[in-house]
Amino acid sequence: MKTTIRALTAATALVALFQALPAAADDSDPVYNNDFRVGLYSVFYHTSGDDLQGPYVPAGVNFKADNLETLYVGYVRSLPANLQVEVALGYPPLSKVEGKGLATVGSVPYNGQVVSSARWLSPTVLLEYVFLSPDSKLRPFIGAGVNYTSFYDRNQTAAGDAATGGPTKVSLSSSVGPAGTVGATYKFTSHWHLNMSYSITRVNSHVELDTAGVLRTTEIKFGPQALVVSGGYSF
Amino acid sequence: MSKSPRSLGYIRTLSVVLSAALLAACGDSSPTSTVSNSTSPGTLAVDPPLRIASLSASALASELSASASGAQLLEVTGAPTCGVDFYYIKFWTQGGAKETTESSGALMVPTGGAGCSGARPIVLYAHGTNANQALNIANITDTTNTEGVLIAAMFAAQGYIVVAPNYAGYDISTLGYHPFLNASQQSGEMMDILTAARTALPGTLSSATSDSGKLFITGYSEGGHVAMATERAMLAAKATVTAAAPMSGPYALEAFGDAIFYGDVDIGSTEFAPLLVNSYQHAYSNVYSAPTDVFSTTYAATAATQLPSTTPIDTLFEEGLLPELALFDSATPVVDIPGETALSAALTAQLAVPTINPANPQTAIFALGFGSPYLVTNDYRISYAVDAATNPDGAVPTPTAGVPLAAKAPTQGLRLDLYTNDMRTGWAPTVPTLLCGGDADPTVFFSVNTGTMKAYWSTLVTAGLVQILDVGETPTSTAGFGPIQGAFLTSQAELLAYYQTSAGGGLSLAAATAAVVENYHTNVAPFCALAARSFFDTVLLGS
Repeated sequence: MKTTIRALTAATALVALFQALPAAADDSDPVYNNDFRVGLYSVFYHTSGDDLQGPYVPAGVNFKADNLETLYVGYVRSLPANLQVEVALGYPPLSKVEGKGLATVGSVPYNGQVVSSARWLSPTVLLEYVFLSPDSKLRPFIGAGVNYTSFYDRNQTAAGDAATGGPTKVSLSSSVGPAGTVGATYKFTSHWHLNMSYSITRVNSHVELDTAGVLRTTEIKFGPQALVVSGGYSF
Repeated sequence: MSKSPRSLGYIRTLSVVLSAALLAACGDSSPTSTVSNSTSPGTLAVDPPLRIASLSASALASELSASASGAQLLEVTGAPTCGVDFYYIKFWTQGGAKETTESSGALMVPTGGAGCSGARPIVLYAHGTNANQALNIANITDTTNTEGVLIAAMFAAQGYIVVAPNYAGYDISTLGYHPFLNASQQSGEMMDILTAARTALPGTLSSATSDSGKLFITGYSEGGHVAMATERAMLAAKATVTAAAPMSGPYALEAFGDAIFYGDVDIGSTEFAPLLVNSYQHAYSNVYSAPTDVFSTTYAATAATQLPSTTPIDTLFEEGLLPELALFDSATPVVDIPGETALSAALTAQLAVPTINPANPQTAIFALGFGSPYLVTNDYRISYAVDAATNPDGAVPTPTAGVPLAAKAPTQGLRLDLYTNDMRTGWAPTVPTLLCGGDADPTVFFSVNTGTMKAYWSTLVTAGLVQILDVGETPTSTAGFGPIQGAFLTSQAELLAYYQTSAGGGLSLAAATAAVVENYHTNVAPFCALAARSFFDTVLLGS
């Protein structure tokens, strides 16, 4: 809820900004094919995964990712026939992972504890169909594409170390998965516009925890859904 | 619609940004433990070690109370007063022939308030014979790890740091055999894990607990021998030993071996013999030229190398890979040594299946060790017995003054190896030492081992420094170890009654009695461990 309110606040602020800009769009405005966008990426995870497997792991040790917000940067290239290609990128956010399942592992608190963090590089390439004519102020779009996600700066917290039994090397395999999006663009001027979109991406990763040479693994489906509010500049 | 040629430039720029970000994605993870490059004995191989589990005192009590056996153990140990962190130590040591090998074990660290953290004494513990090659005494999550649970509840949960090896040949060790009852190797390995554990402790998640420098050594059965050998080795090295409590161990190995080869076969002998032969053959290369020298053709192909095994020993019995009881041939040998008519006749009589004497319940156990198919050949038995008869041990078959080892080194390979690893080496404890056992032990005979050491040390040790406790003896006092003796005898009576209930199998009195005898050696363990803890507590108070 907090994230949604922030996204809507950002959208309101962007609308106010664009309304303050001169020269509203009209039929005589030129149409540009390149478009840079900057905005707010609100990511909602719908994590599901197998319980952690491996030596000395009790049944019921699982994880979930905390929702987060980060900077959205996108490039959109218009194509013929109302098509466009979007390359969407977020500033790699620090994603926190909480323990889920058992209240304690042995006597170590687990459920709800932030056990690890990682940064994501998660570019998505989308082919989108844009409805209505290029002259329209409001143009909805729908798209599908491919996401690549890579994780880095993977760190386990002290609470995570306590649960796994010591300092732990965290490995997450990179993910390639489909992505889908729906959204709309509202044009203020021939150059400036406001965009909102909601996208769903499949990000699955093989997770391996190495604690003192003892390996524990699981498969996590992060299931991120993202609300993007951005301002764009066409040229 | 304009198409700016500059757009390609922007795409290129974006590609560069993307590539840079992808390179950034190569950033590494938080590190895990460091793996040592050194393989010197005593080196901690993985630092810090893995903490397998962390249990508070209440969680440990709860876990134990959840099973009948755990609840019974708690009645002996008392309720935990400390939490326990269980660490899995990997360290470098040497095998029986000085081979470099990695081994593993447990570091159990008490946690909590006063008496559980800060500077705490260490109990260095040696476990009993275990046929399971995958044994990991640190793995408290393994319900078959009963000895790990025992030492956790008895010592760690009462404020002692516990260090215990799995032994070379077990768990991660790639040695390929276990140096069973090899005093030099096993005492060396005990000192190696102690060094490694002391290195590890400050870097663990339980660093609020530290080593006080007080060291107590104990162990059960095989581990009783290991504990005594370690006490001897550490005292010889002038290392600090605060006190020791070897329990139910085969200390007087030559005497014990002679008793068995003469016909007093113990329960468990068909498990111990392959381990012993394999160990000494690797260390000394003098037990056999070919396995058929020792083992009958039924078992020779596998017996020499199959223990410890990842296959349960009961399965080995069921599949006919080892005899369950028959150490020796029930068709006992006729000894015919040219020119030695009297000796031949005496040995022929000595090697016969023991006559069951109702006045001595153990004679029925001895007789169980004879059958067919059998493990050890008659020829090998004769070669051993001839050596024993011509160069007799001072304790078996007839005790002589001072119960010394054989007057000169035996010539028969296995007997020489037992002689080499016997604890009667002119050495006696110089720190408080308790030898605990049960006088009716059918697995490691009490009188031949503990009794022999008591007699051997009687003139060598400072009065009062060594105490002997027979938990099977009727207590004569409510003080000292009297309550422990009383509790053991009560537990035996309760067990006898339990085996006759439907929950206990509904056995007849005779079968229930046999079951009690069969489990006697195991059942002594918690009571002797309680005596050891009580002994250590007393020594601590006085130090």
